[in-house]
Amino acid sequence: MLRRRQAFRPFATRGRRTIAGILATFALFSTLTVTVSIWATSGSRHRASVLEVAARQRTLAERYVKDVLLARAGAQADPALTGRLLALSADALLNGGVAPAVNGDDDETLLPPASGVTVRAQLRQERRLVRDLTATGSAVLARRPATAVKLTADERLTARDPVERLRVLSALTSNVSLNAARTIGAEDDRNIGRLIVIEVVLGAIGLLTSLLLAFGLIAATRRQTAHFRSLVTSSTDLVLVFGDGGCRYASESVATMLGHPEDDLLGEGFAGFVHEDDRASVCAAYAHGEPHEIVFRVANEFHEWRHLEAHVTDLRADRQIRGIVLNARDVTERLRLEEELTHQAFHDGLTGLPNRALFRDRLDQSLARSKRSHEGLAVLLLDLDGFKQVNDSLGHDAGDQLLEEVARRFGEVTRPADTLARFGGDEFALLLEGANETQAVAAANRLVRNLSEPIRIAGHELGLGASVGIAMHAGGEAASEELIRHADLAMYAAKEAGRGRHEVFRYDMARELGELLGLEHELRLGLQRGEFSLHYQPEIALDTAAIVGVEALLRWHSPTRGSVPPAEFIPIAEATGLIVPLGEYVLHEACAQTARWLRNAALPEGFVTWTNLSGKQLSAGGVSALVREALEAAELPAGFLGLEVTETALVQEGHAGERARAELQELHELGVRIAVDDFGTGFSSLGQLRSFPVDMIKVDRSFVQGIEHDAKDAAITANLVSLAHALGLLAIAEGIESDGQLTSLRELGCDLAQGFLFARPAPPEEIDRLLAEGSARVSGGREAAA
Amino acid sequence: MPLRLLVLASLALLACSGCGSGGHEAGAVVRVTERDFRISAPRHVRSGDLLLSVRNRGPDAHELIVVREGSRLPLRRDGSTVSEERLEPVIVGTLEPGQPGSSRKLRLHLAPGHYQLFCNMSGHYLGGMHTKLVVG
Ligand SMILES: [Cu+2]
Repeated sequence: MLRRRQAFRPFATRGRRTIAGILATFALFSTLTVTVSIWATSGSRHRASVLEVAARQRTLAERYVKDVLLARAGAQADPALTGRLLALSADALLNGGVAPAVNGDDDETLLPPASGVTVRAQLRQERRLVRDLTATGSAVLARRPATAVKLTADERLTARDPVERLRVLSALTSNVSLNAARTIGAEDDRNIGRLIVIEVVLGAIGLLTSLLLAFGLIAATRRQTAHFRSLVTSSTDLVLVFGDGGCRYASESVATMLGHPEDDLLGEGFAGFVHEDDRASVCAAYAHGEPHEIVFRVANEFHEWRHLEAHVTDLRADRQIRGIVLNARDVTERLRLEEELTHQAFHDGLTGLPNRALFRDRLDQSLARSKRSHEGLAVLLLDLDGFKQVNDSLGHDAGDQLLEEVARRFGEVTRPADTLARFGGDEFALLLEGANETQAVAAANRLVRNLSEPIRIAGHELGLGASVGIAMHAGGEAASEELIRHADLAMYAAKEAGRGRHEVFRYDMARELGELLGLEHELRLGLQRGEFSLHYQPEIALDTAAIVGVEALLRWHSPTRGSVPPAEFIPIAEATGLIVPLGEYVLHEACAQTARWLRNAALPEGFVTWTNLSGKQLSAGGVSALVREALEAAELPAGFLGLEVTETALVQEGHAGERARAELQELHELGVRIAVDDFGTGFSSLGQLRSFPVDMIKVDRSFVQGIEHDAKDAAITANLVSLAHALGLLAIAEGIESDGQLTSLRELGCDLAQGFLFARPAPPEEIDRLLAEGSARVSGGREAAA
Repeated sequence: MPLRLLVLASLALLACSGCGSGGHEAGAVVRVTERDFRISAPRHVRSGDLLLSVRNRGPDAHELIVVREGSRLPLRRDGSTVSEERLEPVIVGTLEPGQPGSSRKLRLHLAPGHYQLFCNMSGHYLGGMHTKLVVG
């Protein structure tokens, strides 16, 4: 406790001086008041004895007359003694001294000299009267004529009878004694009144002085604590002050943050709780004030490591602190979340296998090694046959269980050194390092064979097959994306050739494949014939239920194949390069349609039409020029257009990546909105997001689907939304199908949403109708949800 | 002594001038001075409304009683005070004892006749505190 007080003194020198001042003032005024009271009490006691003696004079004067008469009649009496007592008392009353004891009446009393003009005049008169009385008494006793006695008190006694003269003088004496006593009493009352006034005034002055000092102290304390508090940015922060002898102060938040009692941390004890590896930097920080920012681990009461991020401030020169201040925050949860999101970014949530991003990373590393060692490697892509039917007939949950089982089976026949990954959907990949074609084909056979055993899901026995595409790399230079694309094409070839097959990629395969499928040709024709169209899916603001934008989605209606889903023709378009003219079509058409809506005054303020930009299109370059051209052709202001790009396209490395980012930056400055698609599935670093020109992030439908029942999906979605808000971005959730999902997203504070719950993708005419209706249909859905 | 005489003379003169000029007017002021043990007041005043301005010069406290009685006053059995009980029918005004230094007023309506002013504190009448007043 003592050490702690040294470390942080809210009441510094001046404060303590003020407290001393307050105490001294109280002491001074209390002493003064008590002294005055004592003095007044003793004065009153004196006055009480004066009153007694004065009142006694009356008795004595009457006794004197009686004694004289008795003595004159020859009876036993001592008038001389009574006379002497009278005279002595009168003298003591006037000038102070001992008033004699009176037999059977009173003891000796010490009297102060009388004060006050009136009282003294009366007492002087009394002394004269006593003298006249005793002189007359003596004359009577001596049988001399009483009239011969020279009177001194200005009395003019006409009576000649000596007894009558004695009686009159005695009466006069009594009278003046009583009056003197009365005057003293009146003065006493006046004195008490004055005393009360003095004490009240003294008390008021004392109280006022103390109050002034106390207010001064409060102001000074406030200034000093404000200085200290400025170091404490929030109450949840832990503030530690270090000086000679280790930790001298730990704020109360230590109890909630670490669970240790403060005393355990004080002194040299603090270093003992710090993780061994961090101890050196922490000790350096609190010994020298450097470095200014540290992150270190401290054990809490359950021996778990908490990560603290601390600001270090050197305040050794500060008179109030005289130490080094660590302002620490518990960042354990933040680090854990970052770690989790990083894991999330590189792993498939369902099977726990590496995802496409991590697979590519491993492939890049293998290719780098292969370049030096000239060893070969193989990439296998596996697509399950008949998975879609399972999903459609037995539901998502059955599909998920099936995928988990498939992942387990694949894992059984994979060497630990090989990388098995899930690319999403029913697509898996396997990387075989140092393998030749024979080994790769053997591996493909093993995988397919291990799948042939029926799988029991939801009471059904399911037999599954897989088509495998194999791309070989013999050694030397190669690009990972290219290898994967080759494996992809080989897989298509295998699929076309029948179920449960595998194909090894050959360079002439792309052409053959295109012809085989007839797709490439049909795609080209379709583009020329205008078989493509755009549908639009509304995006809804969750707080107002208003339509704030649409996502443009490509549709292909082939005269021979019917309606072809994008998942089937987009990979072919990407593989054949047809994606570039398709992308141009999408941009032009979306801009033209939006301009039409705008001219019809159908658009609410802030409305955005979003189009998807493929990674291939971005890395091919020229996107900026293309977009500007489309905007100009449609005469559409840039703010109405939004581009959705994938995370992987945005974080691409190398020259192409840099150019793509520069082009997006340029468009963003023009006013075009940028959104990150499939957010949460592929970012290598969240921090990178900060440096990109992004307005909105899209939470992937795979998280939204699990948000109601899967705590992990809900937590990830919550984190993504709060992360978006922390970066000042909007968050939109896609694929909303149920009211429950809507309620959960609203609770999480998600800004926008799109999904079948609100509206399916629809042709422009349908959107016209929806825009005219405003949010009527949507708010109906909202009420149903509430 | 000469100074005191002078003061008394001037006071008497003032009192006389008061009775001379405004005797008939309501509230003619009559100055009365009491001290141990005498009362100084004018001998003659005009009848009617009078305002007695009574000053006690001490040292003892004194009272003032006015009676319409020219002759010697009867005493109580104690032998040191006048019997106010027997004088009751002729008492025309009283002032309770006043402290030395005090000044008090006593309003009276006096018909012509012989009056006495006296102090009836124990022994004071016999000690010389009485004076006669003729109202004409
Ligand atoms: Cu008197």
